Amino acid sequence: MTSQLAEDAGAETSPREEARGRQADLKPKNNRAWFLVLPVVVSVAFTAVIPLMTVVNFSVQDIFTPTDRIFVGLDWFRSISRDPEVRAAFLRTLLFSAQVLLVEIPLGVAIAVCMPRRGVSVSVALVVVALPLLIPWNVVGTIWQIFARGDIGLGGWTINNVLGIGFNYTLDSTDAWITVLLMDVWHWTPLVALLAYAGLRSIPDPYFQAAQIDAASAWATFRHIQLPRLRGVLTIAVLLRFMDSFMIYTEPFVVTGGGPGNATSFLSILLSKIAVGQFDLGPAGAFSLLYFLIVQIISYVFFTVLTRSGR
Amino acid sequence: MRLPWARTVFWLYAATLMLPLLWMFGMSIRPNEDILGSFSLIPQRVTLENYETFFTNDVWYSSYLNSILYTSMNAVMSLIVALPAAYAFSRFRFAGDKHLFFWLLTNRMAPPAVFLLPFFQIYQSVGLFDTHLGVAIAHMLFNVPLAVWILEGFMSGIPREIDETAAIDGYSLPRFFIRIFLPMIRSAIGVTAFFCFMFSWVELLIARTITSVDAKPIAATMTRTVSAAGVDWGLLAAAGVLTIIPGAIVIWFVRNYIAKGFSMGRV
Amino acid sequence: MLEWMVWTPPTALVFAGLVLLLTGMAVWGRLSPPVARRGFLRIETDRGDRLYIGLISAAVVLAGWIALTDLSMWLALGCALLVALVIGIWG
Repeated sequence: MTSQLAEDAGAETSPREEARGRQADLKPKNNRAWFLVLPVVVSVAFTAVIPLMTVVNFSVQDIFTPTDRIFVGLDWFRSISRDPEVRAAFLRTLLFSAQVLLVEIPLGVAIAVCMPRRGVSVSVALVVVALPLLIPWNVVGTIWQIFARGDIGLGGWTINNVLGIGFNYTLDSTDAWITVLLMDVWHWTPLVALLAYAGLRSIPDPYFQAAQIDAASAWATFRHIQLPRLRGVLTIAVLLRFMDSFMIYTEPFVVTGGGPGNATSFLSILLSKIAVGQFDLGPAGAFSLLYFLIVQIISYVFFTVLTRSGR
Repeated sequence: MRLPWARTVFWLYAATLMLPLLWMFGMSIRPNEDILGSFSLIPQRVTLENYETFFTNDVWYSSYLNSILYTSMNAVMSLIVALPAAYAFSRFRFAGDKHLFFWLLTNRMAPPAVFLLPFFQIYQSVGLFDTHLGVAIAHMLFNVPLAVWILEGFMSGIPREIDETAAIDGYSLPRFFIRIFLPMIRSAIGVTAFFCFMFSWVELLIARTITSVDAKPIAATMTRTVSAAGVDWGLLAAAGVLTIIPGAIVIWFVRNYIAKGFSMGRV
Repeated sequence: MLEWMVWTPPTALVFAGLVLLLTGMAVWGRLSPPVARRGFLRIETDRGDRLYIGLISAAVVLAGWIALTDLSMWLALGCALLVALVIGIWG
C-alpha cells in the first residue's frame, strides 16, 4: 500500500522541524533582550502606533481644521458601516479574494508539480516563474493596461479580432473584472507555485521510491504523498494570497481606476478615494478602523497557524 | 512517476507568463505613430526614441533616481533596525515576545490606505513631507516587520551552540554579533535587503501621498502620463521596462529564496 | 506640535485605559508567569492571548452592532465586555 509506506515515513518529522522545536525549548529567558528589540519598537511606534492613534481620533470627530472640530461619537462608524457603496466594495473585495484563491491555489500547485526537478532547467524555471513577482505593482498594471487593450494590446486584440468577442475593459464592467482577475492570476500564481514547489522539494526521495515500488499511479502519488506534505505551505499560500488580494490597490487603480462605474472599486481604492481624494478625515478614519479590524483577525489566524503548526 | 507531458505543460505556462511582458517590451521600441497607427505582432520600425525621451526628460529620470534613493535608504535603515531584533527573537524568550512578533506581522499585513491620512499630517508637521528620508521612514512601516520575520527565519536555522562556544571563548555579544554572526548570515542579509528594496520599490500609495515634487517616485510619474494628446504608450512602456530592471538584475541570485522572502521566512 | 493628532478626551481615556491594561498584564506576568492552556477555543492560549482575542471579539461585537442594529451602544458595550470576559476566563 502506497499510503501505508508513506505514513510510516511520515511519522518522523524532518530534521529541520526537529531542530526548530529543540531550539525553542532551549531558548533562555532573558528580559534584557528587550534592548535589542527597542529600535524596532521605536520605529514601529513612529510609523504605526502614532498614525493609528491619530486615525482613532479622526474617526470620532468632524474635522474642519485642527482647531475647528466637533466630537460626533460613533456617527461615522454608523454611516460608514451602512453606506451602500462601502458595503458593495466590501462584498466585491471578498468575492475577488475568493475567486483569486479558487483559481490561483489549484493552478499554482499544478504548475509546481509540472516544474522540472533536476538540472539547469530548474534555475531557468525558477527565474521565469519568479519574474512577475518582482515587477513593480504599478508596472504590472501598465503591462495589462497595454496587453488587454483592444487596439494596441495583443490579448485584447486577439479576443476582439480572432475570437470575435467584443472586449473592452474601459467600458464593460465584466470585461474590467476579468482583466483585473486575469492580471492578479498572472501576477501572483507564481508565488503559489514557488511555495508549493518548495514544499514538494522537501519531500524525501524514499517516499517516491516507495510509490514506485507499489506502481502507484501519478494521481495516487500526488493525492497520497505530495498533497499531504503540501498542507503547511498551502496554508501559508492561502493566507498570504487572501491578505494581499484583500488589500489590493495599485494594479486595478492603474488599469481601471476602480471603474467603469464602481465595477472594480475595491476597499483600498474606495478608502483612498475618501481619504486623499475628498480629504474626509472622519469617515476615512472610521473606514480605516473597520478595515484594520478585519486585517487584525486574519493576521491572528495566520499567526496562530504559523506558530502552532510546527509543534 | 512524472507525467510525460509535465515538462511541455510547464514550458507552455512559462511562455504565456512571458507574453504580456514581451508585448510591453515590444511597445517600448516602437514609435508612437506605429503603436496607434496599425496593429502588428512584430515592430515594423525599431526605435530607441522612447528611452531617449525618458533619459532626457527631467521629470522621468529624476523620479527614477528618487525611487532608487529612497528604496536604498529604506533597505539600509530597515536592516539596521531589524538585525538585533531578529537575533533577540530567534535566541531569547522575553516578556511579551510572542505578542510583539505578532504585532509586527499585523503591520506588514495592514493596508497602506489605512495609514495615508495620518502619514500626510505627521510628515507635514515634522517637515518630512516630500523628502526621500520621509518616504524611507514611511516604508519602514511594512519593511521592518518583513526584515525581522525573514531574518528570524534564517537565524533560527543556525544552531545556538555557535553562540555558546563564542561566549566561552570570551566574545562579548556585540563583538560576536559583528565578527562572527553577521558574516555567517551574509546571504540572509542579502536576501532581506533585496526584499526590503523590492517592497519599497513597488509601493505606490504611500509614496505618492507624502511626496509632491522633490521626492516623487517613478511609480507616481507613471500613473500621471495622460496628457492632452492622450497616453504616450511608447514612453509608458519604456518606463515600465526600465522599472523592471532592478528586479531583473538580481533575480538570478535570489531565485532560491523567493518563496522564503514572500512567506516571511516561514518556508 | 501634536495638534494634528486632534486628541479628544474620550479617545485619550480609551488609550490611557489600554496602556493601564497592558502595564497591568506586564506586572501580573511578573508576579505569576502566565500558563498556557486549552479552553473552549481549542487552541493553546495564555492569558495575554486570551486578552487579545477577547478585545478583538469585543470590537467585532461593537462593529456588528453598529452596522446592523439601532439599539443603544451602551447595550453593545455590555455585550462586548461580556464576550471579552467569557473568552478571558474560559477561552
